Amino acid sequence: MPLPIQLAWMLPLYGFSGMVLSLPWAAGWFKRNGPRPAAYLNLLVTLLAVGHSSVILKQVWTLGPQHFEFPWFQAADLNLRIGFDLSLTNLAALELVTTMSLVCQVFALGYMDKEWSLARFYALVGFFEGAMSGVVLSSNLFMSYFLLEMLTLSTYLLVGFWYAQPLVVTAARDAFLTKRVGDVLLLMGVVALSAWAGSMEFNDLYAWAGNAREQHLITPLAGTLLGLGLIAGPMGKCAQFPMHLWLDEAMEGPNPASILRNSVVVTCGAIVLMKLMPIVALSPLATDVLLAVGTISAVGGALVALAQVDIKRAFSYSTTSSLGLVFIAIALQLPGIALLLLFAHGLARALQFMGVGSIIATSNCQDLTELGGLGTRMPATTMAFLLGSAGLLGLVPLGSFWCMGLMVENLRSDEPLFALVFLLTNLLATANVTRVFRSVFLGPVLPKTKRAPEANWLMALPMVSLSVLVVLLPWIMQRIDTVPGIAAFPLPVGLAVAGSGLVGLLIGSVVHLDEFWSRSTKSSLRVLQDLLAYDFYTPEIYQRTVVLLVASLARLTRWFDVTVIKGLADGVGRLSLTTAEGLKLSISGQLQSYVLTVIVAIVLLLGSLQLLPGAG
Amino acid sequence: MLLTSLLLIPFAGTLALLLWPGGPSPSRLRLITIAILVLQLGMSVAVALAFDTAQAGMQLQERHAWLPGIGLDYALGVDGLSLPLVLINGALTLVSAVITRDIEKRPRIYFAMLLLISGAVNGAFLSENLLLFFLFYELELIPLWLLVSVWGGVNRAYAATKFLIFTAASGMLILGAFLGLALLTGSVDFSLTPVLSDRLAMGGQLWLLGALLIGFGIKIPLVPLHNWLPDTHTQASTPVSVLLAGVLLKLGTYGMLRFGLQLFPEAWAKLAPVLAIWAAISVLYGSLAAIAQTDMKRMVAYSSVGHMGYVLLAAASDTPVSLLGAVFQMVSHGLISALLFLLVGIVYRKTGTRDLAVLRGLLNLERGLPFTGSLMIVAVMASAGLPGMAGFISEFLVFRGSIAEYPVATLLSMVGSGLTAVYFLLLVNRAFFGRLAITPPSADAVADARLDVQLAPVAPRETVPAVALAAAVVVLGLVPSTLGRLSEVATTALASITAIPGGLG
Repeated sequence: MPLPIQLAWMLPLYGFSGMVLSLPWAAGWFKRNGPRPAAYLNLLVTLLAVGHSSVILKQVWTLGPQHFEFPWFQAADLNLRIGFDLSLTNLAALELVTTMSLVCQVFALGYMDKEWSLARFYALVGFFEGAMSGVVLSSNLFMSYFLLEMLTLSTYLLVGFWYAQPLVVTAARDAFLTKRVGDVLLLMGVVALSAWAGSMEFNDLYAWAGNAREQHLITPLAGTLLGLGLIAGPMGKCAQFPMHLWLDEAMEGPNPASILRNSVVVTCGAIVLMKLMPIVALSPLATDVLLAVGTISAVGGALVALAQVDIKRAFSYSTTSSLGLVFIAIALQLPGIALLLLFAHGLARALQFMGVGSIIATSNCQDLTELGGLGTRMPATTMAFLLGSAGLLGLVPLGSFWCMGLMVENLRSDEPLFALVFLLTNLLATANVTRVFRSVFLGPVLPKTKRAPEANWLMALPMVSLSVLVVLLPWIMQRIDTVPGIAAFPLPVGLAVAGSGLVGLLIGSVVHLDEFWSRSTKSSLRVLQDLLAYDFYTPEIYQRTVVLLVASLARLTRWFDVTVIKGLADGVGRLSLTTAEGLKLSISGQLQSYVLTVIVAIVLLLGSLQLLPGAG
Repeated sequence: MLLTSLLLIPFAGTLALLLWPGGPSPSRLRLITIAILVLQLGMSVAVALAFDTAQAGMQLQERHAWLPGIGLDYALGVDGLSLPLVLINGALTLVSAVITRDIEKRPRIYFAMLLLISGAVNGAFLSENLLLFFLFYELELIPLWLLVSVWGGVNRAYAATKFLIFTAASGMLILGAFLGLALLTGSVDFSLTPVLSDRLAMGGQLWLLGALLIGFGIKIPLVPLHNWLPDTHTQASTPVSVLLAGVLLKLGTYGMLRFGLQLFPEAWAKLAPVLAIWAAISVLYGSLAAIAQTDMKRMVAYSSVGHMGYVLLAAASDTPVSLLGAVFQMVSHGLISALLFLLVGIVYRKTGTRDLAVLRGLLNLERGLPFTGSLMIVAVMASAGLPGMAGFISEFLVFRGSIAEYPVATLLSMVGSGLTAVYFLLLVNRAFFGRLAITPPSADAVADARLDVQLAPVAPRETVPAVALAAAVVVLGLVPSTLGRLSEVATTALASITAIPGGLG
């Protein structure tokens, strides 16, 4: 076996080592040269990771998939291992993760130029990258879970990067808690599976799931609960309804981290779901829930995105929507197309968010109503935004167009409803992109966009490189080859996809945009607009249900603790103290008397033992 | 001799401190104490090195008849259950001594009591004789009571008395159970063998086990016997809280495993379903109560109540994996709660308050406590069971070992683990995120945006132990096989006692 493959265990360690290397600057021990050295070190190790993974990809291409594992912890019947699956798809995903991390880190150098805590940012990104590299390569559920939760932690810290701002505080809290709910449910599934199936290797789990189905090893109820537990984790990670609100709030974090979150982090979540799907499929109900979640997220996310006035939020809801489509593909057992969707989405979404980041960095403004006329002033950004968005839509033959064609082709006879969901989502997403493009790049120049130079080269370079990649995406997808040819659908299907995009384009072009009245003046329309703008009032619904429930239970417990338990304890205490009064024990001079009492008591008791039969 | 040295060093140290000629200054006393404790920790490590991990049962045994008439032998031994706890005791007492500062009142007695506790706890963990265990178990009470009542906070008299009453009751119940065992079996053999209970009728066994469970349940503490803990913690000084949470609570769980599960396997199997539910209640109650706290220290104290519930769950399930999880949970809770109390103590000393309604933005880079805050994030994440740190593998083992036996109780306990994330995240978000403030918010926004808050940097004597604890938490989380190897044989043997009643006899 060639050396690079033997050293494949190092792949996740590159990111983690970047974190460790940044610590001296992040902790402020090295202040002399500013925080930049930490950034350079991180870039260097990420570059190594990209190189290493490319070499391995090439070798696996010729040698075939490789698998290896190490023992991590063993006790009784429990055997936890570190396992790597070097398959082409896993390595392609790894390539995506490391490349995205690299371009984002370059982009961050430009975007966070004057940030004091640059080193801390790079340390967190290194942590992020390491965890994601591990997730995509993992060959067993335990390791996947382990790293997914590390992702939760690093998301929390990245969202909370500017922790002094009030909105960031709530955003970080919601990001962590929402994901944590998903993680705990996933952990329940993981623990149950570990006890039932023994091994945690995905291949063994699939074999177990096959047996379980044939020999009815578990009850239908257990199977359903297991399936629901397993899908909860990826739902949280991929920001699916009803656990979607964190992604929108997470836009309070630095933009380079948003790029990673919206492209590769959600991809990691979906890849884990893909690996779990054969087990989830044990339960028809869990599969149906997955489909419902995907559908609601796809359509709901696209609708909510339409009503946002914050440029980052408008697209973070689109991410929820796109991942909803991926969920549908996974639930319908079309992993090949789901994977292609993820690739196309990951690259193009990253490019789109880079364009957004460039706009924000230049104008210091995220409000769509205050932006305008940037098209002529920022040509590279405009191109990146257009290409990125085009790669996400089924309108021109870039990445997503082919995936949507394939999906519609696969679904149109058996599940025509879901084919329609794809077309509808595409329509809404196109309309959203069009309206955002109009208000940001076209129209009159506004005060905030008056002095808007093109982004600096550290931001432009990654944007241009990624643009090239997005243009080449159809060719790359053909090479990845998870399905027999990406153009395996007839012309009418292609026309239908492009047609839905075109309708969206038209709607987006004619819809009335008003800088002044961003809320509609017609009351009926306003109700709808508010409903969408406030995300179907999900935060309020949470406040009034889950949060209220936990808070009331907590208050009830405290009340019980203070009145009943403490009351009883104090009562008993007073009683014994009154008794103690009789023994002339007071708090001040208690020690000697207490010791004496204890000793006397012990001596008496032990002495009584002498009287027992058989003593001595 | 190796085990005796673990008692001899701290007890001799106590005497030496009390009799040290002249009037040594507090800092001098502290250094002497630290030297003695380093020696003790070194000896504990030596014990660990001499320990054969492949062998079940007690090792390095020492036995001398003391008062044979009443069955009291000086019998020491160590196995995979007690060895990790002895190590934790050595490490955490050292931490308490290192972080001690500003002792003006009777420093001599303070440090002597610290050593006395450490020696007594070692004795309790190493005893192979029930009465010897009880002597050490009681011996540790008095110095701790003194530490709270003399060097504690404003309400120390109340808290100390409460502590004393509760734990004295605990001691009485345990002694009662031990004596009852002797009375019912008609023998004064107090050595640690499970055969004893075989001669008893089930009714008698259940009574004795019940008394033990309540006795140790007070110490652990389990709901509803926990009321002394939050009060004692809030009034105790930081080093004492570190000891109390990190080491002394483990006496309860250790006793429960050693003298409950191991001595009364049949009765234990009968009571186990009840215990599992009790564990789940304890976990949920502790977590929910912690959510409602505004005092950081109380919050951490209630989290202890919740987290010790996992140990009871693991003990009730009584499988090899769950019992190993119990040992892991004891060790990781020891390290994590010690770290939490240490950090809360730093915050309290720097800001003068622990009130979550008041503290804001302590992570502030220039004027706040960024290093303490970063370690706090590590500590709360470890406590919430994030992978890569000790809490995760402990909880995973407990849950994995219990879910087949008691699925509902296990799932409820996992909900408790989720709630841990809630309250600790609230703690970090409230106190450490946001704009720096250490006074209550007022109506005047301009006055609130004070820039004159400048917290002094934290001294190395506090940061170094905190970093060491955090490092231990991470190492244990990444390389759990270190502890696993130490304990696995013992916990597997313990689990097999109940599988074959009286199996070890």
